[in-house]
Amino acid sequence: DTGEAGGTLPAVDMTEWKCKYCAFEEGFSGTVDLGLGYVSTDSYKFGEYTGLTDEGLYLIGDADLRYRGADASYLNVDVSRLGLDSRSLGVEGGKQGKYKLTFEYDELPHYISDSVSTPFLGTGTDTLTLPPTWVGAGSTGGMTDLANSLHSVNLDTKRKRLGLGAAFASGSQWEYAVKVRHEVREGTQRTAGNFFFSTAQLVMPVDTVTDQVDASATYTGKKFQARLAYYGSLFSNENTALNWQNPYFTGGTVDAGQIALAPDNQFHQILASAGYQFTDSTRATADLAFGRMTQNETFLGATVNSGIVVPAQPRSSLEGLVNTLNANLKITSALTQALRLNGSYTYNDHDNRTPQASYYWVSTDIPPVQQRTNLPYSFTQGTLKVSGDYRFTKQTKASLGVDSDTRERTYQEVSKSTENTVWAKANTRVVDNVYLTLKGAHAERDINGYEVLPWVSPAENPLLRKYNMADRVRDTAGLRADFTIGSAISLGFGYDYANDDYSKSLIGLTESKDTTLAADASARLGKSTSLHVYFTNEQIRSHQAGSAGGLTPDWTGENYDSVNTGGIGVKHALIAGKFDIGADYTISNAHGEIKVYDGSANAPFPDLVSRLGSVKLYATYRLKDNLSLKGTYWYEHYRSDDWQLDGVTPSTISNVLAFGEQAPSYYVNVFMLSLRYKF
Amino acid sequence: EETSPASASLKASGYTEKGADTCLKCHDEESEFPVFSIFKTKHAQKADKRTPFAGLQCETCHGPGAEHAKKVPEGQKQAPIIKFGANSKVSVDKQNKLCLDCHQGNARNGWQASTHQGGDLACASCHKIHAPRDPVLAKTTQPDVCYNCHKKERSDFFKPSTHPVRAGLITCSECHSPHGSNTDALLVKPTINQTCYTCHAEKRGPFLWEHAPVAEDCTICHNPHGSVHTSLLKKNPPLLCQQCHAPSGHPSVAYTGDSLPGGSDPANSAFLLARGCANCHSQVHGSNHPSGSRWMR
Repeated sequence: DTGEAGGTLPAVDMTEWKCKYCAFEEGFSGTVDLGLGYVSTDSYKFGEYTGLTDEGLYLIGDADLRYRGADASYLNVDVSRLGLDSRSLGVEGGKQGKYKLTFEYDELPHYISDSVSTPFLGTGTDTLTLPPTWVGAGSTGGMTDLANSLHSVNLDTKRKRLGLGAAFASGSQWEYAVKVRHEVREGTQRTAGNFFFSTAQLVMPVDTVTDQVDASATYTGKKFQARLAYYGSLFSNENTALNWQNPYFTGGTVDAGQIALAPDNQFHQILASAGYQFTDSTRATADLAFGRMTQNETFLGATVNSGIVVPAQPRSSLEGLVNTLNANLKITSALTQALRLNGSYTYNDHDNRTPQASYYWVSTDIPPVQQRTNLPYSFTQGTLKVSGDYRFTKQTKASLGVDSDTRERTYQEVSKSTENTVWAKANTRVVDNVYLTLKGAHAERDINGYEVLPWVSPAENPLLRKYNMADRVRDTAGLRADFTIGSAISLGFGYDYANDDYSKSLIGLTESKDTTLAADASARLGKSTSLHVYFTNEQIRSHQAGSAGGLTPDWTGENYDSVNTGGIGVKHALIAGKFDIGADYTISNAHGEIKVYDGSANAPFPDLVSRLGSVKLYATYRLKDNLSLKGTYWYEHYRSDDWQLDGVTPSTISNVLAFGEQAPSYYVNVFMLSLRYKF
Repeated sequence: EETSPASASLKASGYTEKGADTCLKCHDEESEFPVFSIFKTKHAQKADKRTPFAGLQCETCHGPGAEHAKKVPEGQKQAPIIKFGANSKVSVDKQNKLCLDCHQGNARNGWQASTHQGGDLACASCHKIHAPRDPVLAKTTQPDVCYNCHKKERSDFFKPSTHPVRAGLITCSECHSPHGSNTDALLVKPTINQTCYTCHAEKRGPFLWEHAPVAEDCTICHNPHGSVHTSLLKKNPPLLCQQCHAPSGHPSVAYTGDSLPGGSDPANSAFLLARGCANCHSQVHGSNHPSGSRWMR
């Protein structure tokens, strides 16, 4: 937004208010950083999002340029990571209070895996073929040309975003803004394609465009504020399908498969919101958004198997339509200086109007032809919240609230559920420098019955309760404490607990519990040194039950993830204004324990492990008033163990032609040296 | 708050004689509270009539300063003036009202009774008004401001599978609206899924064969801040999927360490290793293929 409405000022005699010491900024200023970096080792995981994936030199290029005019004209230019695949450029300019124009260009890479092997040719395209030498077999072990055909493929995607924006203020109360963003995403991702129980991991092409538009008119008055907006999002995919040759083919007609890739779709939404300040103490706001999600991509054939005759489908495309309605009304009023009451109602409707029809389908290109009717799931949510805040003293406030959340679903096991929550929260400044927050909530979700859906085949176990719509008791609690010692030291401590109890569920998720303990401290030691330390421990546990026998529970599964993250950072001015040094050290260790008990003495799962250690040492030396030299050394190591990947070669599993991906590990050194010019 | 002429002249009496020049005499760069960086910000723009420096300068926000500017004997404290931030003695409501007098519109429309307002957060708890670049508004520094309270999230972004917040490519405010919204987690769009679709529009559909929880709420399976498990999943398949799928046949079987490479039960490895269930059911986000009802096409 370009700015806001001005407040009302009292009449003051300002004849002597010359502002002669006011150092208003005019003209150009900024900083430019240029230099070179060196990465010691190739690693997709290290450079997953930054683009520091390859061993070698890279350009360090950052800039922050500003222009300020006495007439309120201005320009900001930001350049980040010019030499990397994660570069970004942002330009904003205009006349403050009148108009603003923006230009943005961002690249967002995602380096997914550099340990993939596949025998398929044509990766990155919509057609994967096997080499002419390929020998099909019923199991991966029999694919005698596999070792010869395997070649390495890297999986990565890159988003390139171009954004343009304009905002105009008309007077002090109206503002109009429009933003468009054009995003192209290209690259490759994982997918898989199977024929009955024999499957192959496949490289999926990504070549999509998403265009988004935000346009709004905003009115900001003293008592009344309103906004009318349009949001549009158009997604298109250059590829409609991924075709692949059947590596298990030894004869017959099941020689290839075809997967549908994400279809083109659109979303259009009109949003209106308003706020009215009845009095100093009472305010109401309302939001309303109507949207339309549509999708009408032409259907692919039910099979590419030339030996199967499929009758004509009832439709050639879906004419998929979901109407969305999101509404909210909120009133808040301070009845007295001490007591404030809040009430709100939120209504979210996802009304799937997609026509139903009975489609002919073929499971994995293998006969027979079957029929099935699509299920356009709809969801409706209504949430009523009432709460009160009572301020006992200036430093102590308590809040109490009740929420009632009702959800309705179509074509699902539970048509209606209601969750009622009671919550309480208190904040207090015990003494001047100790601030405490305590909160807790108890919620019970009740369902109106659980139906075994007749159209699901084979039939679902009647004791299963899907956890997103099962009876549930949820308890949460949290404590936060912040201390300051003088103006130099601050300490923070936090504990959070959440427990979901699904004790009425005999099969499915039966319990999950998260606890987080966090502490941090920062200190200023003298004029030239600052220190920051933090630590977080998180534990996530869950229990679930299953039934291989198809009736009562006969096995249980446990997940236990624990994550410890800690860091320490220090900054020190070795020579004030001339020579600054600093260091950051971070560790993050995660463990995932998975246990499955089925009554037999089966082999345990090894832990999922990831261990990250990172050290950064940096120094800035001012050569001249406007020129500094900055050097950084960054060492990071990472080790991960993942039993889903480790030791799984393309032919380890007889019926999965796998990528042979391994859990990533790396040791990387990065050296950076750059000059900063300031003007 | 409407200001009547009578109350205005009463208030006016408390203002300094020379406005900002009075303040800047003491608050220079060597003082305990230097203020000159304000002149690098948008608030210090006389040509924009809405800004403090087009009005009562420092005293637009900090209030009448004549008492505060009075000389006091050495060792004594100056008379107080309106200070901002979490440690100010001025009540949060009063601090915020001074900001909201100008900034009530747009994203702040829903500030009252929002989570952060209810938590007694002052605008200046997060915003540094005097900083040339307010850290909470800059991509690379914003997360650190949020981590001051949201400590767990700092740890989340170090997990093996996460969104690129630590890498500095996206900010908290791309998904969250800290000034208030109608969703529980203060999301920028009216629902969780509408928020996710701003970057993941390919998952929006509607598809011919929808996977009900996918259309309902991405966070039923994913933890958007980060996970020990692949693809931001709350747990790995097959256990993830077996929380909701238990019909007779392969979904109901207990897959154990016996199916690890070299184990005694290799026949079940396909359901466990590599991508587990997704080795075949690769289209779990929905399929528009006539034969994709089981998300295998």
